[in-house]
Amino acid sequence: MPRRRRWVAPAAALIVLTGALLAGCASAEDDSSPADPATSQESTPTDGGTGSPSAEPQGTVVDITFSGDSVTPNGERIDAEVGEPLTLDITADKPGELHVHSTPEQEVAYDAGTSTHQVTFDQPGIVDIESHHLDKVVVQVEVR
Amino acid sequence: MRLFAHGIGGAKDLPIPAEYAIAGACAALAVSFTVLALAWRTPRFNTGDRRPRPAPGWVADMVDGPWFAPLLRVLGFAFFLYVAAAAVFGKDLLINPFFGVFFVLLWVGIVPMSLFFGPFYKAISPVRTINLLLAKLSGSDPEVGLRDYPRWLGHWPAAVGLFAFVWFELVYPFSTELGPARLWCAAYVGVMLIGGAVFGNRFFENADPFEVYSTLVSRLSVWGRDGDGNLVVRSPLANLDLTPVRPGLLAVCSVLLGSTAFDSFKDSSTWLTTIQSTDIDTDWLNLAALLGFVLAVGILFGAATMMTGIHDDHHRLSLPGQFAHSLVPIIVGYVVAHYLSYLVEVGQQTVIYLSDPFSTGANLLGTGNRAVNYWLSNHPTFLALTKVGGVITGHVVAVIAAHDRAVKLLPKRHQLTGQLSLLVVMVGFTIGGLYLLFGA
Repeated sequence: MPRRRRWVAPAAALIVLTGALLAGCASAEDDSSPADPATSQESTPTDGGTGSPSAEPQGTVVDITFSGDSVTPNGERIDAEVGEPLTLDITADKPGELHVHSTPEQEVAYDAGTSTHQVTFDQPGIVDIESHHLDKVVVQVEVR
Repeated sequence: MRLFAHGIGGAKDLPIPAEYAIAGACAALAVSFTVLALAWRTPRFNTGDRRPRPAPGWVADMVDGPWFAPLLRVLGFAFFLYVAAAAVFGKDLLINPFFGVFFVLLWVGIVPMSLFFGPFYKAISPVRTINLLLAKLSGSDPEVGLRDYPRWLGHWPAAVGLFAFVWFELVYPFSTELGPARLWCAAYVGVMLIGGAVFGNRFFENADPFEVYSTLVSRLSVWGRDGDGNLVVRSPLANLDLTPVRPGLLAVCSVLLGSTAFDSFKDSSTWLTTIQSTDIDTDWLNLAALLGFVLAVGILFGAATMMTGIHDDHHRLSLPGQFAHSLVPIIVGYVVAHYLSYLVEVGQQTVIYLSDPFSTGANLLGTGNRAVNYWLSNHPTFLALTKVGGVITGHVVAVIAAHDRAVKLLPKRHQLTGQLSLLVVMVGFTIGGLYLLFGA
């Protein structure tokens, strides 16, 4: 039995410690929560995209540039909201198609030059927007 | 045209919130050390002092009745033929139900079916059925083949088969084209039939990847057999403890756990941007990463089980196999976390597609007009909680299973310290899994 008692104390201490840690982590998370719907609506994506300068809320805008065998962005994440349009500003050197792996799937056909397209999402999830021609995922959209 | 990011199914689950991942990790740590500190000091499971409870009479009568096993076999084989017809005569379109049956209903559905009903694939296995029919025709016994199945081979062929499956599903770029998928299945059936002819039914028990997976998960069900073959009800922990230790058991578990983790990892933005930015062939990189995950699970687990003091007459190298069953709950927890929405939603879609096996617009089963219920995807908080709950439940069961095995196998003075390394590795797996759910 002494062996057993020796282990109880550290274990109890550990439980208390993890509990405290947990509380600390959780509150730290609350302070810097990025998922505030009011701000993310007009937020600018960090990678590859630029925000719309207009004042009216119109969801996220992504700039996509095709050039030869490369495309930017290159698989980065952006945020969008269910029911809000996601605007794709596409600059391309030749026409092509983007596959939007939402449920249900969608397709965006674009011409050479610059063009603007909008897609909306019916339900939350991670949606890959993919160029099958280049065999690359252009952006992953976190739809909330 | 290849589908780079996906097999089948549209959007993937959102990452779980950071708070959930952290809370889950803390819970895993706390529970682990509580078990170590407070749990029993003498083995609890299957020590022989209590007889397992017989299954309810009507269940035993039904299951061991004259029609139950043949009925399951006929139903299973009819379904196999139906899907095989779609695979052979159907169109190369994603609405061909063959893909959904193969990747979702079979591969993912095998887990809940085995968890609730016991060794499910064994009961419906089409390769067992064909072997049985061939034996009937030639007047031989399906149980015995030309030779005895070599004991040293154990589950190794199943581990190879499972790896071939996860490679095909997660790495091979053309897995959602009809030709390659059909070829994979044909190779599976071919190898299984040859093995069955040479070694008899013992081959399926040891080497059929799907049967081994299913039977392993069924160890966490309440259904079992006692020494006389009677149907009994056991606690899942006692049932799990009876998992036969065969060569290759740890390899099977490593493939299952490592591949599930890789599936999560490969969808992460980090991995995606990395492989899209290099000139190295993507498929080789993915294969290397998949293999890396599998080997990491096996090596970490194997090493951790061996880092203990042992009895003089105990072989250290036998320890990884003797503890490998404790990975099964972790595997099941991860499968719940990674594939629950996939199974529920793409599974429904597959049932809808099943009405139209040849993509002609038919509605043979009357399911063609149904719509998929996306309730799970539309409730991401509930889904995230379920995922974390699955991972943590699996972890707790695993820790208890490993603890009981340790007090059974290890000398008294090493029972606590000997478990520490394994506990650390299990906590690492669980926190790593939660991190993948959060970051991918």
